[in-house]
Amino acid sequence: MHYLKTIFKWIKKDIIYLIISILAIIFVNYSRTFVPLFYKHAVDTIFENKGSNLPGFIVDFINIGDTQLNKLFFLGLALIMIQLFRALFMFISGSCNALFSENIAYRMRVKLYNHIQNLSYSYHTHAETGDLIQRSTSDVDTVRRFVGSQLTEVFSVILLFTFVLLQMLRIHTTMTLVSLIVVPFIFTFAFIFFKKIQNVFTETDESEGKMSTALQENLTGIRVVKAFARENYEISKLNKLNRVYADNVQKIINGMSTYWASSDFICFLQIALTTIFGAYFAIKGEITTGDLIAFTSYVSTILWPVRQLGRIIVDFGKSSVSLKRIEEVLNEKDEYQEKNLLTPEIKGEITFDHTSFQFPDASVPTLKNVSFTINKGETVAILGKTGSGKSTLAHLLVRLYDYTDGSIKIDGVELKDIDKKWIRKNIGIILQEPFLYSKTIYENIGILNDDYIEEEIFKAAQIAAIHTDITKFEEGYQTLIGERGVTLSGGQRQRVAIARMLVKKIPILIFDDSLSAVDTETDLAIRNALRERSNELTKIIITHRMSTAMEADKIIVFDDGEIHEMGTHDELINNNKIYKKIWEIQSSIETDFQENFVSEVGE
Amino acid sequence: MQEFQEHDYSEKLNINIWKKLVIYMLSLKKQVIIGIVAVILLAVGDITFPLLNRWVIDEITKSVDAGTKLDLNYLKLFVAAFVTLSVFQGMFIYTFIKAAGTIEVELSYALRKAAFEKLQSLSFSYFNKTPIGWIMARVTSDAKRLSEIISWGLIDMSWGIMIMIGIVIVMFSINAKLALITLAVVPILVVISFVFRKLLLKLYRDVRKINSKITGSFNEGITGAKTSKTLVLEDKNLREFDRITNSMRTKSIRAAMISSLFFPLVLMFNFVGTALAIYYGGLTYLQGAISIGTLSLFISYSTQFFDPILQLARVLSELQQAQASAERIISLLEVEPEIVDREEVIAKYGDYLNPKRANWETINGDIEFDHVSFQYKNGERVLEDFNLKVKAGETIALVGETGAGKSTIVNLICRFFEPTAGKILIDGIDYKDRTVGWLHSNLGYVLQSPHLFSGTIMENIRYGRLDATDEEVMEAAKLVDAHEFIINAENGYQTEVGEGGGRLSTGQKQLISFARAILANPAIFLLDEATSSIDTETERKVQTAIHKLLEGRTSFIIAHRLSTIVNSDKIIVIKSGKIIEQGSHSQLINEKGYYYRLYTNQFIEEQTQKLGF
Repeated sequence: MHYLKTIFKWIKKDIIYLIISILAIIFVNYSRTFVPLFYKHAVDTIFENKGSNLPGFIVDFINIGDTQLNKLFFLGLALIMIQLFRALFMFISGSCNALFSENIAYRMRVKLYNHIQNLSYSYHTHAETGDLIQRSTSDVDTVRRFVGSQLTEVFSVILLFTFVLLQMLRIHTTMTLVSLIVVPFIFTFAFIFFKKIQNVFTETDESEGKMSTALQENLTGIRVVKAFARENYEISKLNKLNRVYADNVQKIINGMSTYWASSDFICFLQIALTTIFGAYFAIKGEITTGDLIAFTSYVSTILWPVRQLGRIIVDFGKSSVSLKRIEEVLNEKDEYQEKNLLTPEIKGEITFDHTSFQFPDASVPTLKNVSFTINKGETVAILGKTGSGKSTLAHLLVRLYDYTDGSIKIDGVELKDIDKKWIRKNIGIILQEPFLYSKTIYENIGILNDDYIEEEIFKAAQIAAIHTDITKFEEGYQTLIGERGVTLSGGQRQRVAIARMLVKKIPILIFDDSLSAVDTETDLAIRNALRERSNELTKIIITHRMSTAMEADKIIVFDDGEIHEMGTHDELINNNKIYKKIWEIQSSIETDFQENFVSEVGE
Repeated sequence: MQEFQEHDYSEKLNINIWKKLVIYMLSLKKQVIIGIVAVILLAVGDITFPLLNRWVIDEITKSVDAGTKLDLNYLKLFVAAFVTLSVFQGMFIYTFIKAAGTIEVELSYALRKAAFEKLQSLSFSYFNKTPIGWIMARVTSDAKRLSEIISWGLIDMSWGIMIMIGIVIVMFSINAKLALITLAVVPILVVISFVFRKLLLKLYRDVRKINSKITGSFNEGITGAKTSKTLVLEDKNLREFDRITNSMRTKSIRAAMISSLFFPLVLMFNFVGTALAIYYGGLTYLQGAISIGTLSLFISYSTQFFDPILQLARVLSELQQAQASAERIISLLEVEPEIVDREEVIAKYGDYLNPKRANWETINGDIEFDHVSFQYKNGERVLEDFNLKVKAGETIALVGETGAGKSTIVNLICRFFEPTAGKILIDGIDYKDRTVGWLHSNLGYVLQSPHLFSGTIMENIRYGRLDATDEEVMEAAKLVDAHEFIINAENGYQTEVGEGGGRLSTGQKQLISFARAILANPAIFLLDEATSSIDTETERKVQTAIHKLLEGRTSFIIAHRLSTIVNSDKIIVIKSGKIIEQGSHSQLINEKGYYYRLYTNQFIEEQTQKLGF
């Protein structure tokens, strides 16, 4: 029931197409049952002057012809005209089905894409990409096929069966029973068979998947294979999986050959049965020769669709599973649900006031009671061990997570009251592992706005120390990034991401360890270029590099979610804590290098 | 990248490709013959059914006209004839499906098998420049599509041709003029079928192309979701996606509409044929030249005739696709490995499929680079006139920036690449005078990002030496300090590592790859040290494991850790493809050159990291 409700929710907007399609199908199937009646009319009525089962208006039309031959002519003409209409209605139905299903698929895809993008940051941290893609593509496709063809096909088969049954009953009751006797059996047989073979299909898909995975692993690990001289081993491993997969397909083939052979055999017998009983009744005089021809024609018309019906109904199960999987994604809460949020002008002052944060599934808070202020235009460095909460702090600032206690104010406005998209537009954060889009480098850097001019792009790339790298590529800025283009190194990716952020003028910039893969000299060059560009910009630099941190206006050292120490470089080196220790290492190496490295490094 | 663009359709017939494919079909000759014979007999049966009907109808009209009672013997004969024919048809159907299916299964199996074997024989450089997705598509979907189309296409075509020939023969032998008139619409049907098939093939190809774009968009939308959020690109992305999926909708609808015009149109012309059969058949009947049974036979045949035309049009258009698939697979199967052993070398030591291990010399481990230069195919020089003598058991650290050429030296030693000038001597003999297999069986190689295969931890370590006992595997694990975490894992040594070792941490993967290398007990050891930091505890274990591994082996290390570098016998500093400094640690420090600066920076960073930053 729930399933029907869900499917209705998706189809209701386009239901008119479905209705038109079904109306057209009614005509298509009803007129289909006329065809044998035309044969009967020719044989019985025209040749033998017996009764006709054709509708009156067609009989009238045929009777325009005065001689037997002319009647045949008009009969042929009527047959063609009926078919012309049928063809037209078939076309209408097919087109409506296409409009119906493609519109629904379109809406599903767009809705899924939009929804997935709007799901929270934490959802994406745990998301399984392959599974989500599967749901967005093949599951949508399964539903599309269901609403596009299977749904109307079921109607079609049921209609055809009903009309054939009615036409048959008008001719001879016993013959009708005899002619349709196998229908329930053949339907059940088809249903059971396709139900059973589903498992084999699943197994086959799995074994194919295993084989592909093994090949993929073999190819990605080809250096290991070669270095260990394991070519033979790999070949036999792959071929074993190849065999398992082939054997599974063979199982399907075996099932199919048995099924089709036996069900065709049953159908042949049904036709034979109809013919023989027909012959018996014809000779007894209960039916005419034309009736016999009509019956055999009807039987062969109905048997194939009935077998298809069994198959389609089995497929119904698949589509309901797919729909459920799609709904599961859509039922995840998206992160933009709050209304009436503020969009204040952001200048660059940040205040943390007893701020705490705890992940929903964690037992201890990640940030505890953090308080500090950053003034507009200041550069603040944040140091801390892995897991000390420094990245979380950055994530809180752009509302990727919301703090659980205390307050964060941006220019005096409570952060939770500010619109998420607005804050992210004003606070630029560069992640440690930034994602680049499969577009050209130029488009990647200019992605925030389509109207940037070339100079702005180049300038940003220069500040990010990536311009020279880019010009070395054969196609320069027009080089495609990603699978179909070049693969950039980690450091290059980080620098492109920085350039991308720098094109836009924003008041606050956060480097979330986003220079980690860049060497120290380049790191310095980027920071110098940034300082030259603006002193209006508030910068938060999360880093593990001492040299980066020491230049900042303020240094905050984190330990275990708390502020361990805070101050300028000069203040901190007089503070007998972690910062001083690091600093000592730094300075000692300059002075007494020789004796130091032996004792520090030696095993 | 142009060379990896897909073309999934070829216009011209390429006889050469089909000839090459025949090789893979030879072992299936029996199935092909059985299948074709079965389907031809099936077609004969399909033609016989209407003949039986004619016979029944004629007998009925005769007895009705004569007013005689039903002859029981006739009825028995009908029953016997129908049942027998049904049994035969069932058998033929069973046989042809089984035969076609077997051809499909075995052909794709054989193609994949050949591809697997070819791939393992190819040189490293091939994989360096060929996207994996490109290879995967050939081995999986192309092999599948090709064998599907060939096997069923062959069968469907035989059936279609036989049905048409059969019907034509029967009709003409009964009444040539009536046959001609009934079949008058056939040329129209043929034209419509072929035109539409071709059109639809193109339309659906476009749809498939956009479809893969949509999948790509979803992939990017999902993997890039976090970044898109921080950049507030959601709306822009959605607009782009909307544009693509909207064009998918338009194209799909267009294709579906044309396709739903196709069948009704064919059906209609088919009924024109039937109408002709009724009219002229009726005329002939009224003239007394044929019976009612024969009239009904012609009507049946006229409706039976269009299916084979449709089938033929479909098969022929699919064969174009199949040819494109075939071209792609054959191109893969015909790639020549760049690094091959000379014939006389193979004659002595065997190839990788049949190694002659008896002739393999034991290795000592001396390595010499003798005026070695290397440049890539595109002319990029990476190494020039490089000379280096390494005595067995020595450790060499390769130091320098990313892209400086460190990996090239390692790849040269592995013979993944060969020197473009000069020689590499192992134990004083040019390594080209022995097989790649010999070299690799004496080589241990641990990568920066260790690659594991799906399977258990036990299987992964045993990859180093396939005949190692469980005890030996554990011994190796203990040596590199991996034993402890392994037995603490869910199923101990039987724990599944997941695809690419994904269920293990980087440090754990490294330890396992060390155990694997130590089990192989190679004379030459190559290590690409990891740059990414792992937790201190594992890091310590990794360091100890590395030292264990180096003992008594000639080693080359692409080094990032100071302790590894300092402890090596010789350090080679490489900058943009050239060796700028070489010597021991203290020598290089005294030179106060590039190495000195590199060392100082690195030292500070490591010390900072030791504090946990």
